[in-house]
Amino acid sequence: MTRAPGRGTAPPLGPRLLGPGLLGAGCVVWAAAPLSYARYLTFALALAGLGVAAGALRLALAEIAVPEDTYLLTAAMQFWLRFGKIVRLAPWEEGVVVAVLWLEVLHPARPWHTAVLGAALIAYLLATHLAESGTSPGVLRPQVRVLALGAGLLALGAGAGMVAAAGPGFGSALLRLLAAGALVTAAVLVLPYVAPAEVRRRDRPRLTRDAAVRSGERPRETFREG
Amino acid sequence: MSAIVPDDPLLRVPGHELGLVWRSSRHARRLLTLSLAGVLIALLTGRPEFAGVAAPALLLLAAGRAQRRNLAPARIVVRVWLSAGRAFEGEAVALEVRAEGHGDRHIRWTLRPGAEINPGDPTMWAADGAQASFTVVAERWGRRRIGTMGLVVRDRWRLAEGHLSVILPVLDCYPGPTDQRTTVVLRRLPNRVGEHAARTAGMGIEFFGVREYLPGDRQRSINWPASTRRGRLQVNTFATERSQDVVLLADATSDVGEQGSSALDLALRGAAAAARAYLEGRDRVGVITYQWSGVSWLAPSLGRRQLDRIIVSMMTSRPLTSRAGWARGASSGRLPRAALPPGALIVVFSPLLDQRFVESLRNMRERGFTMLVVDVLNAEPPVRRRSSEDRMARQIWQMEKEAIRFSLHELGVPVVHWDGVQSLDLPHAAYVRRPLAVRR
Repeated sequence: MTRAPGRGTAPPLGPRLLGPGLLGAGCVVWAAAPLSYARYLTFALALAGLGVAAGALRLALAEIAVPEDTYLLTAAMQFWLRFGKIVRLAPWEEGVVVAVLWLEVLHPARPWHTAVLGAALIAYLLATHLAESGTSPGVLRPQVRVLALGAGLLALGAGAGMVAAAGPGFGSALLRLLAAGALVTAAVLVLPYVAPAEVRRRDRPRLTRDAAVRSGERPRETFREG
Repeated sequence: MSAIVPDDPLLRVPGHELGLVWRSSRHARRLLTLSLAGVLIALLTGRPEFAGVAAPALLLLAAGRAQRRNLAPARIVVRVWLSAGRAFEGEAVALEVRAEGHGDRHIRWTLRPGAEINPGDPTMWAADGAQASFTVVAERWGRRRIGTMGLVVRDRWRLAEGHLSVILPVLDCYPGPTDQRTTVVLRRLPNRVGEHAARTAGMGIEFFGVREYLPGDRQRSINWPASTRRGRLQVNTFATERSQDVVLLADATSDVGEQGSSALDLALRGAAAAARAYLEGRDRVGVITYQWSGVSWLAPSLGRRQLDRIIVSMMTSRPLTSRAGWARGASSGRLPRAALPPGALIVVFSPLLDQRFVESLRNMRERGFTMLVVDVLNAEPPVRRRSSEDRMARQIWQMEKEAIRFSLHELGVPVVHWDGVQSLDLPHAAYVRRPLAVRR
């Protein structure tokens, strides 16, 4: 169970940065294409690109130790540590999400394109989380069914976007939104039956006699008195 | 589940029950941002596909919330074990940590090193698992805080994190002795058995000379070639073996130069190296540490434990044993006879910047002690560009230094320079081959 620092099941830094970097860049390109001359598109594109790059830099800097006391360090070292602190603390991925969705809004409605973007954004966030926590994709296994349900809702949302409205105007759009909201609510209601529950106490595997003696716990049958 | 090994050192240290502060993880905040942005855009633009974009993130958040209910532990037990409480500079110390009572949740340890503490490899400062081991290296002598250990407990869905911080124990870091194998030996040694060949015949193993056989001499010591040449029985004589008293004088009145290789760093490292070298030669070694407020001393003694006592004595002004003491005012005249035995060899490590200290050296020399001064100053006053006054001031300062060296040399005190990088054998080389004369 003892693990040496920096090792374990996590892949090395390069492959870990590759996933979030490629997915982030892919999201930005997917949301921006085709390039148009819409207002603020360049700004949103620059914001998204900066967020992806800074997020990757944050993941790279996360592997460097931060000293507890910086008072006696040189000015260059203190500047570097302050820069690293800003990079670590700023919510770059949140900025990427907002900027990418903004880029998508600037284009005319294209439901399936948006649905693919939604899937890519979820993958980007999950890859970023795996990279920053240094864990393998296996930790996401309990969430597979929920993610599958979410993918279904994503597809339904795209389908709802493609359905021709009963008529132009605010009323039909509100109707579609209400339908989408009802779907999400229904999904939340069925969630406890989809997501696997935590292992309950009575379902825990019992200790073998040797393991119980080593850990100081009394095996129930062996040491019963009377 | 980890099996608990009976000889696990972590079992011998008491565990500390600490409270966890739970809050949303960065992952949860990102999912929340995605879901809120998607729903907001869907409402504002009337495009339901954006509600679909928000749906997976919302589901993950809701599922994680449902799972977390009443299951997060409020407190866990943390054990911290350090392989050694004392170490020399640059020596690696193992640090092991273990958490108990967290269930099957994921744990990540993060070491935030204290001042002058290096976590070995700069990337080896974080670890996963209920138990983790780190390596820390103290880079400079002193009483060093190892730092703090951050602990993050994550639930199965990685949406909530419990944080706590553990203050790690203190590590006493001793100055790392530099390399020294040779020792300087006095010409006149006290009448005490040791390992240095004295200039009198005795019962040692080093050849001293040949003399005529006298009744009572051992037959095996007869030198047959010499007896054949002279026609009378001749016997070999051997030099007697004696030890000497060595007092190390560390000047802690001034600490100039770059941190890590300052005059005080070099003085302590040099004194530690000399103490080890002379103690290995079966000499009695003591130490006197000069400070602004006074003098702390440790009487000469033998053995491996004396090395530890000497190093600790140099780092603290508090008398550690009955054979140690403290005298107010930096004057050698106040030192007791036990601290400065007559006829002792005094090896001084000083930058020779404090005039009172130089006067003390002169005073000791005039009292008949044999001395060797190791100059540990490796810095010069800074000079501003295009400033002739600064250059002139530096030249005057250098001349004053030369004058001090010359005055000590005139008194019969050799002064050698040590840069802290090379072995101490090099500056000592000129005085190792021949015994150091005692002049009164």
